[in-house]
Parts: sequence; structure tokens; C-alpha cells
Amino acid sequence: MLVKINSVANVGLETVAVDVEVDVAEKGFPGFTIVGLASKAVEEARERVKTAITNSGFDFPPKKITVNLAPADLPKDGAAYDLPIAVGVLVASGQIELPKGNNYFYGELSLDGTLRPTRGILLLALFATKKKGTTIFVPAPSAAEASVVSDVTVIPVPMLADLVRHVAGEKSISPLPHTRYEIADDEGSIDFDLKEIAGQEQAKRALVIAAAGGHNVLMWGPPGTGKTMLARALPGILPPLTDSEALEVTRIFSISGLLPSGVALIKKRSFRAPHHGVSAAGVIGGGTNPLPGEVSLAHLGVLFLDEMPEFPRGVLESLRQPMEDGEVEIVRVAGHVRYPASFTLVAAINPCPCGYLGHPRRECKCTDKQIAKYRHRISGPILDRIDLTVNVAPVEVEKLSLTTQHTEISLTSKEAKKAVNAARALQAKRFEGTRLYTNSQMRNREVKALGMLTPEAENFLKLAAEKYDFSARSYMRLIKVARTIADLAAEKMILPVHMAEALQYKQLA
Amino acid sequence: MKTKNRETGRAGEAIAARHLEKKGYTILEKNFSNKFGEIDIIAKDKNILVFVEVKTKIGEDFGLPEEMITPGKLWRVRNMATMYLQGESAPCRIDVVAIVLGATNEVLRLTHYENVI
Repeated sequence: MLVKINSVANVGLETVAVDVEVDVAEKGFPGFTIVGLASKAVEEARERVKTAITNSGFDFPPKKITVNLAPADLPKDGAAYDLPIAVGVLVASGQIELPKGNNYFYGELSLDGTLRPTRGILLLALFATKKKGTTIFVPAPSAAEASVVSDVTVIPVPMLADLVRHVAGEKSISPLPHTRYEIADDEGSIDFDLKEIAGQEQAKRALVIAAAGGHNVLMWGPPGTGKTMLARALPGILPPLTDSEALEVTRIFSISGLLPSGVALIKKRSFRAPHHGVSAAGVIGGGTNPLPGEVSLAHLGVLFLDEMPEFPRGVLESLRQPMEDGEVEIVRVAGHVRYPASFTLVAAINPCPCGYLGHPRRECKCTDKQIAKYRHRISGPILDRIDLTVNVAPVEVEKLSLTTQHTEISLTSKEAKKAVNAARALQAKRFEGTRLYTNSQMRNREVKALGMLTPEAENFLKLAAEKYDFSARSYMRLIKVARTIADLAAEKMILPVHMAEALQYKQLA
Repeated sequence: MKTKNRETGRAGEAIAARHLEKKGYTILEKNFSNKFGEIDIIAKDKNILVFVEVKTKIGEDFGLPEEMITPGKLWRVRNMATMYLQGESAPCRIDVVAIVLGATNEVLRLTHYENVI
């Protein structure tokens, strides 16, 4: 008998329907073959399915079994076809009957018949909403991912035997209740508070602007002045993910298999800090069936590159495309995929190899050649894409003292977050109906239409651009930064004062 | 133990040969072997040359005889068949006879699969 079971394949963030055709023939030499461009993991489903069926108390028919995964020209990878194949074998050998309606099966089997956590459940659930009244059968440990999707019935299956009892009507599994997204803005999630960092008020201000508008920041200064601490404080002042943002980020984590079991949605912005030994494929994404890299995992969050000149040049240059377009395109033999990668880049660099060039009290030991070589590692095109550059200078000893009373009051993360949230709310209103979230994502078209530049501010910018020979990109980027500064001041128009502050953060050398 | 397995095998091959003869096959050769391997039975079904692999098991407690026939084993039969033909081309196929014996060597089941590759 021949049966057809519905399942899906995830190619990047695209979901494609896959028909799992299972034929149990009465005639022919017994055997079990899987065809349809199956990878090694899919091939091995043979042994898992065979053992899981026997261990669940059912018969694995000693007949000629052929499984076809259609469409035949699409490469299939992963263990998610275990469940549809097992169900297909049970139905085709007449041991159970397929429930009526539109059903999708997806999940990895363990040898004892337990369903194991499987990647990409959220993508399946989103795909299933395309047709009304669809039911998806997924492993119970990863089912929570699908609970945020409405218009689809999710059946969390703990064991193969439970599924059989469910379809036979003996003991039904109750569908997963739908959970609503709630913005949880708890202060407890702040790891580093801005007020714990001594001094560095200009850098803190730059971080607030970066958080408000999603701009890239470069911090430079001698070792031990707080560059890394400042970067770590950034996630604490970022606003929580909105509904649609959370779904976008969760999709990426779902396909990477990085969602912790039982977590339905990622609500916190990610902070990715890859070590400088990382490969280009690790940053951009890669593999035979390309998986998202650090830039995509940092989507709508922060990508922090500590000791930026230590990163291989190829890695840094590969950041150019995602920094400009907000997405990466990875091409491999198996096909090409596109992942979103709209992140805020935070880079920390020392002024020279020894770190003390320009230090008020310490002497730099580097030769001119060494300094030139060090600076040369970061190319102009990368620096051109950085909106905010701040000098993180050494802190005066007086400010560090633990016993003396400090007269100046430092900005706290709580206050900063409030300002950021207000600025983001203005942006959300501005970009309503578009796919943009922050000022930094604006393209030239939007800058012209929504920038709200006063003629005085533009004149000011023109003067600076002529004097310092800004590139066309820098010109546009400066307007975006000024827009964010105006948003922080709750001003409708960009005034010369906002433009002046934006120019302060532009690296002129 | 080894000799016992061999005896079972020989007994099975004899049973298979009798079964094939009853079906009207002509047995050409039994245990055709060289240093590369062995073909249990070579027979002729009308004008088709048939290479038969026989697998015998006592009881099904340790699995079906069918499970013991691996793709590797069938490849060996195939290569042996090529050697038997010595470059000549003739219509031929490979069959499998699976036999399950009882405790006193009585036949519990005999299944003949034709053209398995």
C-alpha cells in the first residue's frame, strides 16, 4: 500500500512542503530504501525508524519498503523526517489509520520511540498557517516554539506510541494552548549598569544614541579604560523586542537549533561577542546547508567585536554587505539562502599595538611602521560605515576612588533605557507600515522623505562635508544620526544643534 | 558451532535445490566457488540463467534469514556470476531463497524471491 504524509524542508528561512511517500510492497525482497536526495542524517532514519517502531510495540513489516521524499531535486537534511517516515510505515502496513484533514508530521525519533527536540518547529508552524485548519504533530520538547503561532493546531507528541493512541482515538493528546506575546521589560535583566562605569560620559551618550537609532559605534582608547564594560552595558539599555521583531529573531534561532527547550519566543535582544579567532563562515553563516552566522544571530541586537584589528581581514570585509543591506546572502552548492542580519556593530580598538598612543601620562613604545600596520588592518569602507566614533580616554584616579563622595551623578541604565524607549516610540510611529524599525535602517529614499532636515542644519552639514571631504554615504549617515539625536530630544525637525552633535562623533581623520 | 552452521547451510541448500527442481528449474551447478566467493546454486529457468543465494536459519529468534542478506553479499554473488559467465552474455538474474528450519531440521518456511537486484 502507498501512503503520502505531509512534512516540510527548511531551506534557510524558507519552508518548502515535502511529500513523504511510503510504499510497503507485498512482493519483492524485503528491504528499506530511502530516495529523494537524502543526506546521511536522513539515510540513517532507516535504523532509527525501524528500532523505534519495534520498541514502541508495533511490527516493522518484513517487506519491501520504499520511501520517496518529493520534490526529488531538493536536498533534504536533518532528522526531522523520522516521524513522517515512521507514521507512513505504520499506515502503509495497515497498523494505524491516518487522521482526516490536513496534517503535518515533523520530528526526530530516538530508538525507544521518544520524540527528540528538533530544529525549525516555528518555521513549520508559520508555514502551516497558509492553509486553514491545519494540524501539526511535533516533538513535545520543542512544541513551545509553535505556541505563539495562531490559526494552527499544535499536537505535542511525547512518544510514537502516544501518537498512535491519539490517532486511534483511544487517548487523545490535548493541543498546545496558544500563548500570547507579552513584552517583559524587567530591570533584572541588566547585567552591567552604566552608572557602574566611572566617567566616560561622552561614550555613554554615544551608546544611548546607538541604542536609540541602531547606529554602529567604534570605541577607541588605551587598555583598561572601560571599552568592554561599556559594550556589555549596551544590551541593558536596548528596548525589548517588539512582537514582529521577536518572531524574526526566534525564526533565526529556531533554524539554528539554539532555542532552549520550552522557550516559545526570544524576547531579549541578542548580544553576540565572537572571539577574534572566528572564521568568515562563522560570522556570515555557512556550511553545506548554510546555517546562520554571528551576524544573523545578532539580528536586531548587538554584534560586539572586541580588539577589532585582531580579526582576520577577510572576516571584517565580509561584514560590509550585512552592514549596508541588513541581510546576508550565502551561496553554496546546495543552493543559496538569505538571512536577515540587521545588527548594531560595536567595535573596540586600541590606538596602537601597545595601546598607549596619545595617553596623557604613559609613553607609547610602538614604531611608526607598527602603528601604520595596525591601523591598516581596518579598511576605509568599514570605518565609513561606522556612525559614531568615541574616544574612551583613561579615567582620572579621583573618579575611581571608592571612599570619596562623587559630586557628579552618572547616567543610570534605567534612565538611559527610558530615553531610548521614547526615541524608539517616535521611530515606530515614523516607520509605521514599512519594514523598518530604526533610523539607521533608512535608505536614501526614506532619509529624504522622513528626515525632516531644517535648511540651517543642512547648510551646516554641507560646510562640514566640503571641509572634510565626506563620502556620499557618510553624508547620509550623518543625517540619520542627527535624526536619532533629534528623536532623543523629542524634536520634530533636525536642528543645527543636533547636526553639530552628530558631527562630533564622526571620525575626521 | 561453526560446523553446525555449515551443516545447516548445506541442508538448506539441498532443500532449496529440491524446491527449484520441483518448480521446473534445471540445476546446473551447486557450490560454484573460487577464491573470491561462492554461488550456492546455479540453475536454469527455461532459458534464463539463475544464480541463487540460499540463506537458512534455525528459528526466527535471532532475526529473519532475509535480514542476513546484505547488499554487500548480493554484490559478491553478482561479481561471481560475472566470473561464471566468463565474458559471455546471457539472460540471467539473481534469486534469493530464504529458509527457516525447526529444531529437528523440518522446514517451517521457504520463501523464494525472484530477481532481487
